[in-house]
Amino acid sequence: MTKVVHRTAAKWISDMTDITRDGPAVGEADRRPKPGADAPDYLASLKLLSRFLAGSRLHLAAAVVIATAAVACELLPIVAVCRVLTAVLADGIDAALLLKAAGVALAAVIVGYALMGAAVGLSHVVAFDVLCRLRLALARHLGTLPLGWFEGRKSGDAKKLVIDEPESMELIFAHGIPEGVSALATWLAVSAWLIAVDWRMALATMALTPISFAALVLGMRRGGRRAADYQRAGARMNASIVEFLAGMAVVKIFNRSGDSFAETAGAVHGYAAVETAWARDYLPLGGTFFALAPAGIVVILPVGAFLMAAGSLDLPTLALFVILGANYSQPLMKLFNQFHTLAHISMGSTRVAEALAEPPQPDSGRRVALAGHDVVFENVSFGYGPVDVLSDVSFTARAGAVTALVGPSGAGKSTVAGLVARFRDPRAGRVTLGGVDLRDIALDQLMETVAFVFQDSFLFSDTIAANIRYGDPRASDAEVEAAARAARAHDFITALPDGYATRLGDRGRQLSGGERQRIAIARAILKDAPVIVLDEATAFADPDNEAAIQEAIGALTAGRTLIVVAHRLHTVMAADQILVLDGGRVAERGRHDDLVAGGGLYARLWRDYTEARDLGLKPAAAPFPVPREEALPR
Amino acid sequence: MTAVDPLVPAGEAAGADIHSDLASLRRVWRLAGSRRGRVARGVAFRFLQSLSLGLAFGGVVWMLTGLAGGRAMDVRWAGELTALMAASLAGQVLFGYLAARDSWLASFALAGDLRLSILDHLRRLPMGFHLSRHRGDTVTALTSDMQMLESFLSDALGRIAQAFGLPVVAVAFFLVRDWAVGLALLAPMAAALPVFMWSSRRLARLGIVRQDLQAAAGARMIEFVQGIATVRAFNRMAKGEESFRAAVEAFRALSIQMVARLSMPMALFGATLMAGVPVVMLVTGLRYQAGSIDTATCVAALVLVFAAYAPLLGLAQVMELVRMADASLTRMDRILTAKPLPTPAVPAEPRGFALRFEAVDFAYRAGQPMLSGVDFAAPERTMTAIVGPSGSGKSTMLSLIARFWDVGAGAVRIGGVDVRDLSEERLASLITVVFQDVYLFAGTLFDNIAFGRAGASRADVEAAAHAAQAHDFIAALPDGYDTRVGEGGATLSGGERQRVSIARAILKDAPIVLLDEATAAIDPSNELAIQKALASLVADKTLVVVAHRLSTIRAADQILVLDGGRIVERGGHTDLLADNGLYRRLWDGRSRAAGWRIR
Repeated sequence: MTKVVHRTAAKWISDMTDITRDGPAVGEADRRPKPGADAPDYLASLKLLSRFLAGSRLHLAAAVVIATAAVACELLPIVAVCRVLTAVLADGIDAALLLKAAGVALAAVIVGYALMGAAVGLSHVVAFDVLCRLRLALARHLGTLPLGWFEGRKSGDAKKLVIDEPESMELIFAHGIPEGVSALATWLAVSAWLIAVDWRMALATMALTPISFAALVLGMRRGGRRAADYQRAGARMNASIVEFLAGMAVVKIFNRSGDSFAETAGAVHGYAAVETAWARDYLPLGGTFFALAPAGIVVILPVGAFLMAAGSLDLPTLALFVILGANYSQPLMKLFNQFHTLAHISMGSTRVAEALAEPPQPDSGRRVALAGHDVVFENVSFGYGPVDVLSDVSFTARAGAVTALVGPSGAGKSTVAGLVARFRDPRAGRVTLGGVDLRDIALDQLMETVAFVFQDSFLFSDTIAANIRYGDPRASDAEVEAAARAARAHDFITALPDGYATRLGDRGRQLSGGERQRIAIARAILKDAPVIVLDEATAFADPDNEAAIQEAIGALTAGRTLIVVAHRLHTVMAADQILVLDGGRVAERGRHDDLVAGGGLYARLWRDYTEARDLGLKPAAAPFPVPREEALPR
Repeated sequence: MTAVDPLVPAGEAAGADIHSDLASLRRVWRLAGSRRGRVARGVAFRFLQSLSLGLAFGGVVWMLTGLAGGRAMDVRWAGELTALMAASLAGQVLFGYLAARDSWLASFALAGDLRLSILDHLRRLPMGFHLSRHRGDTVTALTSDMQMLESFLSDALGRIAQAFGLPVVAVAFFLVRDWAVGLALLAPMAAALPVFMWSSRRLARLGIVRQDLQAAAGARMIEFVQGIATVRAFNRMAKGEESFRAAVEAFRALSIQMVARLSMPMALFGATLMAGVPVVMLVTGLRYQAGSIDTATCVAALVLVFAAYAPLLGLAQVMELVRMADASLTRMDRILTAKPLPTPAVPAEPRGFALRFEAVDFAYRAGQPMLSGVDFAAPERTMTAIVGPSGSGKSTMLSLIARFWDVGAGAVRIGGVDVRDLSEERLASLITVVFQDVYLFAGTLFDNIAFGRAGASRADVEAAAHAAQAHDFIAALPDGYDTRVGEGGATLSGGERQRVSIARAILKDAPIVLLDEATAAIDPSNELAIQKALASLVADKTLVVVAHRLSTIRAADQILVLDGGRIVERGGHTDLLADNGLYRRLWDGRSRAAGWRIR
């Protein structure tokens, strides 16, 4: 049953809301020093990456050395030109000198660029190696985190975590380090050279540099007064744009696009106004930086002229300063840019650092003997934040019996289910399996013992057979098919052109929710675990799928410890034990009939449930007699 | 300067069509519209700034040739030189400031204008346009793409002007003084230009290749993280890590291979340009030796050769910005060139609120029909239910009534009038759509419900909330109807949000209701409340409902059973059951599910 890829309004809206929460990405190719962001750790990314440098240190050092040599080669043509110039001024040029100088300069250019190419290549290899290690370490670390950490993450987060953020850090080793170090080396070397030749002219050459940087800093400080406004206006505009787009369907249906546009237009105007005001503050000082920094010649020449007038400077020296001094600020500008880039990246790569800093889930690593497969909650309390989501929950889910969790939204049903598979650990009390605290059981033993069917199951981009075989890698084709049959998935699978060999793309989105769920159940059947947790496994099923899924679940559960979260109450009527959760506590417990007779919360839920099931739209206008849907025991 | 590695082109930059650098510049210029004057002024000032620097080098030549010619330096001459340098510095600072002011302010204003015209255009586009686009693309065009354009206008454009200022003056100066020296200076620039064009195209093209190659490896890495709960739950970390490692290593290998192929052209450009230094040195020296040029020209050439080439070296970086801005422009163009649905010159007025599909064909993509020959009539104030397997085209039918898209063939009529002959406002006033997923604005609950009808009073809103089973839970909130929802506001459950949106729809009181029933199960009490709320919404309306719960629609006046985009059965519930067709199978499945229980 292939589904045409078209996106519903609902999907679109939820995408948009994702973006709101996240804030739109900000363009990175922006050299304007934006105000804001209070003192970030400019070196955060560097520190993070340095941990994965082992094995690449030599390469990195080589890249730095080669890059520095390449920059030195850039200086050689300058020396050559100075030689020739000195000769010309002394009126002693000859063809041999000319050819030698030109030859040296040409060789230096060729060797210099070859070295630069080599350095760039090498530093990129370092960068990609480091990223490779970082990603592997990330994967290994994610494997140790409690599964609860992954709950409620947006699907875009995964891409940011393993692709986008590491990629942006690539620049640090690919360019930042080799170019930064070589720029620094050049700057120091040229400074030393100039000072050695003539300290007075050297001072003249350097004079503008501190002034230009001071202007930049003062300009940024002046502009910084508007930092808060700037950020607020930007955030307001982005939020308004996202809202404008997210609400588009509703706005159109309610004929209100004028109002909504006016509001967004106001935000856009507001942002432009703040940007302009900020620029007017910043520019008089900050804008001169880029004019002053490369203007060294205007100081060199007058100082040189007066020194010559005083008879204490000769022409070749002046020529050297004129040629070399003109480009004196270049390495510093490079350095400044590298730092700017580094700062930019450091502020962006937070998710990776956060994930790596997350403490792993404690794992006893001990495989222990379990006395049966009863799951027992003993006075369990749990909370995500300061507020408890579960308080003092106690119950026993016996092996071979069905324990159902029901209750209003937010009562804590899924949280209880998650604790059984140690998605998170309780704050107080304990959960035991076969008499052993879950925390004392090796994680892989626990995972072998417990099968968990999620609300929205994850399928891999692989064949259907491979997805089912995920439950047991050693399963034969016949076993895979048997599991699929038991899960009521065989028929629709064989109806697909490629049958079990059908490749699923994009997490199996070409299948309907119910079909995906049945594959997930087949996988769980194959796993053959003694404890099974179903977290609203039919929540997203269409009615045409629900029956099949429920039959599939029936096949899964025979003779096991079954814990099931359900909204559709008829599915749990026959449960051995129904726990009614309300506000994180077990409000009622018992069997269906007793609970209905008890007249409490469950009785109310049951009444609402049956009424909702029988309530059609326009019931009064029914043009023909309607048969009873089924005969439920009341 | 940018946080983008030119050797590892950003996906966005690479993904777009390749334009030549010049074509990109032209596109920006076209978009600049009314701000062109200021943009051009900014560029002109940058050029003047560059010429002011040229003035300083003029002083250099004046001084060196004078000295070489035997003139002695004295305080007076030094003073004159100082004055010239002061003038040069003043020019650089002044023009630098003016350039930054004009180009920055112009770029801010231009981005503002452009944002507004895109937003204005967006609201005129049919919902179909919005629904068919990828996640966040529209937001990206308005935010980060716009920022890219801003920084291009404020920064890159000026740098291009600056890069050419000194070289152009130098070449002109020497061509006048001596053709040979002038040509020697010019030749490497001319030779480097094709290398530059070639390498920049190669960079863009390889960027696309790299992106495609790496997308697959990237997807496997992403999948590992997204599926990690499943990987862990099945104890398959070893296998998962192994496949992740393979993907990461493939990614690394591809990246390195690409850099090797990309760094060569970049280095070639630099080497070609800088090879000009020895060439100029040699030509100048030989001409001087032969007595064809004077000392002044010779000295000037030697002193100025670096100043003439250095600015051009920076062009490679600037062109990366141009390419990225170009990619941003392409994404904006995709919005700006999308056509709003045609509107009637003389809007028609429907007679009544009956609905009719006349032999409707529709496809989202050519060659993949979604609906074929769909034909039915829904008289005013009747209920029509659409059922069928997932993917059969049920929701699409609702979209066509609301004119999110236009039909491929046939017609959708309301009150006898083709929806394409209704004005957009009139059509919107006729229908209410209840979406599966609910959108509430940041604002109070009152605002959200009152949105349904302009000028709704407190009493109107409360009455609608009552009818939508929402009054009780709203009244129980500390701030009641003044409770803020959305970012930083109260969190409502899915069922509560649904009821608020139904209250909004009740307030609108449109004669036609399109209802896409939610599939997800929610707790029984919420479900009952929503059922009741919907019942009051649809009373006395022409109702078309996509139903997932067959119990909802037993009372429908007609049920359309859709399969593969065609109506395969139609009729009332009892008749359809008797027909023993697809509907019967769906119904049996439903009943089996209802009768089934665990164990």
